Amino acid sequence: MIVSLDWLAEYVDLPPVDELTERLLLAGLNHESTETVGVDKAVDLEVTSNRPDCLGHVGVAREVAVLANRPLRIPTVELPESNAEQAVSVEIEAGDICPYYSARVLRGVTIGPSPDWLVRRLATVGITSVNNVVDITNYVMLECGQPLHAFDLARLAGRQIVVRRARAGEPFFAINHKQYELTDEMCVIADEQRPVALAGVMGGANTEITAATTDVLLESAQFAPLPVRTAARRLVLGSPSSYRFERGPDPAAVGWASRRAATMMLELAGGHLDGPVIEAGQLACRPATIRLRPERLGEVLGVEIPRQRQREILQALGFVEQDAGEHESHWLAPTWRRDCWREIDLVEEIARIEGYDRVPENVPIAARPVQRSARERLVRMAAEVCVAAGFCEAMTRSVVGEPLEIWGSPWGTAASLVCRPPLVRGADRLRRTLLPSLAEARSGSLAAGATHGDLFEVARAYIQRADAAGASESPVDEPLLLAAVTGGDFFRAKGLAAAVMRRIGLPESPAAALGDDLIRTTQAVVGYRPLKSELFAAGRVAEIVLCRPDCPNRRIGVVGELAGPLCDEHGLAVPVAAIELRLDGLEFLANTDQERLPLSGLPAIDRDINLVVDESVPWAAVVAAIESVGCRELETVRLGDIWRDAERLGPEKKSIVVSLRLRSHEATLSADQANTLVANMVTACTNATGGVLRG
Amino acid sequence: MTHLSLETFVAELNELRVGAERMLAEATDAAALESARVAFLGAKSGRLKTAQRGLGQLAKADKPAGGRHFNAVKQEVDALFAAAHERVSAPIDAHRTTAIDVTLPGDSIRLGRVHPLTQTIRRVAAIMSHLGFEVVEGPEVEDQWHNFEALAIPAEHPARDPLDNFYLSVASHAEPLLLRSQTSTVQIRVMEERDPPLRIVSLGRVYRPDTADATHYPMFHQVEGLLVEPGITMAHLKSVLRSFASSFLGGDVHVRFRPSFFPFTEPSVEVDMEWNGRWIEMGGAGMVDPAVLEAVGYDPETVSGFAFGLGVERIAARRFGVADIRDFYRNDVRFLEQFSDRGQA
Repeated sequence: MIVSLDWLAEYVDLPPVDELTERLLLAGLNHESTETVGVDKAVDLEVTSNRPDCLGHVGVAREVAVLANRPLRIPTVELPESNAEQAVSVEIEAGDICPYYSARVLRGVTIGPSPDWLVRRLATVGITSVNNVVDITNYVMLECGQPLHAFDLARLAGRQIVVRRARAGEPFFAINHKQYELTDEMCVIADEQRPVALAGVMGGANTEITAATTDVLLESAQFAPLPVRTAARRLVLGSPSSYRFERGPDPAAVGWASRRAATMMLELAGGHLDGPVIEAGQLACRPATIRLRPERLGEVLGVEIPRQRQREILQALGFVEQDAGEHESHWLAPTWRRDCWREIDLVEEIARIEGYDRVPENVPIAARPVQRSARERLVRMAAEVCVAAGFCEAMTRSVVGEPLEIWGSPWGTAASLVCRPPLVRGADRLRRTLLPSLAEARSGSLAAGATHGDLFEVARAYIQRADAAGASESPVDEPLLLAAVTGGDFFRAKGLAAAVMRRIGLPESPAAALGDDLIRTTQAVVGYRPLKSELFAAGRVAEIVLCRPDCPNRRIGVVGELAGPLCDEHGLAVPVAAIELRLDGLEFLANTDQERLPLSGLPAIDRDINLVVDESVPWAAVVAAIESVGCRELETVRLGDIWRDAERLGPEKKSIVVSLRLRSHEATLSADQANTLVANMVTACTNATGGVLRG
Repeated sequence: MTHLSLETFVAELNELRVGAERMLAEATDAAALESARVAFLGAKSGRLKTAQRGLGQLAKADKPAGGRHFNAVKQEVDALFAAAHERVSAPIDAHRTTAIDVTLPGDSIRLGRVHPLTQTIRRVAAIMSHLGFEVVEGPEVEDQWHNFEALAIPAEHPARDPLDNFYLSVASHAEPLLLRSQTSTVQIRVMEERDPPLRIVSLGRVYRPDTADATHYPMFHQVEGLLVEPGITMAHLKSVLRSFASSFLGGDVHVRFRPSFFPFTEPSVEVDMEWNGRWIEMGGAGMVDPAVLEAVGYDPETVSGFAFGLGVERIAARRFGVADIRDFYRNDVRFLEQFSDRGQA
């Protein structure tokens, strides 16, 4: 709301401008700017949506009068009402949208320029002068907040006004000389033949005031906020009028504005009134009566405000005390304050006028220790590993375009959710995986000239649940994912995933990799199993399966090399190593402390065994066989080497060198003891995998 | 004749290799190196020579494998000796006394970074946790009740306009869902589940259809605090925000309330904090609207509370001197690497 100081001063004596804006700022009218326009000043005030009363100079003046404790001068308008016949008929068909409509007819007016003072005031607030009659409708709207419209009566067909819903597809040629197609959610002012105005939004070009106009129909009406907003938004046709109707002008101003504008027109454009005001419908005006308990102020604000001061403020704001008991009183709200209907609203009114600087800033709250939630700690642990490994955290959009969504998701097969409008142009799919976004970000970072594009992100994906119909559960699952991309092969990806897993307390178990029936675990472990996924290169991707006692196994991650076409699309050199881990549901890990194992000071014995196995035997099977012996002295099993040589080993065979470290906590192991232990493990390997010692 | 098992032979060789490795590694002068050579590579009674004799005791079938293994170990020990010899006989001065150019770069260790928005969120959460607020999260895909109705935003409210929200079509759900436009939704969810006293900070991504520019992005982050206890007043709100601002900016910072309007708080205020002699906008706040307390089943006559919200991007932009908040979402490593997160150290 831009206020002309020259204009405002008509209603109240103003303090100096800086003092004025500061005081208004602290009472709820945020000061955006002050600009000098000729001899006048334009003060731009931000008016919150609950205060339509401040969308006119009188309303702002009322605030100034209350804050500065000065009298308010509102012009009185006396208009001689004629008893002649109604010159036109007015009918409301859409009473839900337009509860009340009034029209006045002025005849013999002379359209011409407005006087300088009027042109200047409008110019200060950014409105270009059109002619005296149109300027007056704008002026009165900016004075009291009630929008008005003037029609050229001669061009209204059938001398009638009908307020009705638009017909679907009905054309409307607006005053901006653009053609619009209306829908039946919208309300129009129509004559006998066609819409002549889009109710509360904009007049029509066919009945606009021109230099040739002599007879004017002046509209002042009430329109419901929602249809006005819908029309203005749908047609992208917002106006000062629609802005005010969306917020609800003062009902008492409907009549005042009509009289005020008619008076000004008679004065500035001449002519005479033809007939009385023509009304249809019932003015909607039900100001609330509100109970106020004076002690409520202290209870809400934390500072006492004497009852007499409360009363002064409310009365200055236009509230009327209906009765005053010892512990409570009742107040009738002014017509222009429809935002006030509860006790808490009165508390706020008193507080903002009294000033929030009176609220103390040194009242402590009781101490209450809290710690980070398991989920926070889990996310921090996982992110910490990525940062330590040299990755930067990215933040990519939750909503992506189709090209990023065609790769499917490890987290569900349901189609991605679509949002309207798109988040940004072309991006309307809620993503089901972070990986394509990170591939794109990696590409962007490298293309921009960064030294690397190793990125990770912690964010959610959005998966429609198949089975949520009617359930109280949300129909959308939101897995919390940590994803990362870097240049490298499968093993680079798995190394990173394994590091995160170790950090959060999930050791890798070969048994978990091989199959559910093998797992006899007392703690949570993970296994890596082959996976088919369009996101990844075939045969170079694994799912990470969580195995917990008494819980069904489930996928908590995928790890591998991104699919060639996905890399190609973003111009990334292959291979790109990628991981995506699902962190929600792992909170239990953040709450369990691992048991410490005592360290043995005794020497270890290292032995390598060289096994020849079929190509199809996975490493995990070898480790699982060795561990199945249950040898307490077995400290570590590590992969030494793998090599293939069809001539020496046979076709479809590979040689695996397994490095074992044996150590006892009781006594130094002898070579013979070690030999026996290793021999048992070799036997177990042979039995389980068919592998034989190479030698 | 009893044959030596291949396994034992290999095991002994491996032990030999480990022993040689250790002894050669520990040899720091020529004398130590020589005694290691004699012990392992000595032509008469060196351990390799002894092991070679074991080769003859293997069963005939094992001999090829044993031989290969022996040769591999011998080559390895030879190489270890050569390396140790080079190390020990190299002019010591070259390493120890010739001054090196200390300005040459060290071996590079790449440092990763936490995103500046995450850094900001963590800092805010850390300060709030000292004041007893715990972090809570909730769904980003929300229903009308949690995003609007429970927050006193009725159906005809402009905030619910389809053009001002990202509505979703979900086949299995009759009522339209949307991407949440504020994290107050989480506060409603927590209040529905728990009884006062309550101190929580809800944080995360929120979505509003804004055209992206230097100060707007259709996806952004909020941190919102909520405290509900008996007897809570605006004085508590102001004091908590002052504590927060003092901790966040350092020093004794004053805050200022300006009246404002939010559907879910009453009274509602904008909060400014004094920074370098100027008032800067910090966020919105207010007393929880009685209608909101009622919507979650609390009695507004017996408990009261306050809520406040901070825009993470705005705080981060100011804190780090970032002129365009779109930079936070460009994911350029050159940008991300600049945020060293000293505040969390």
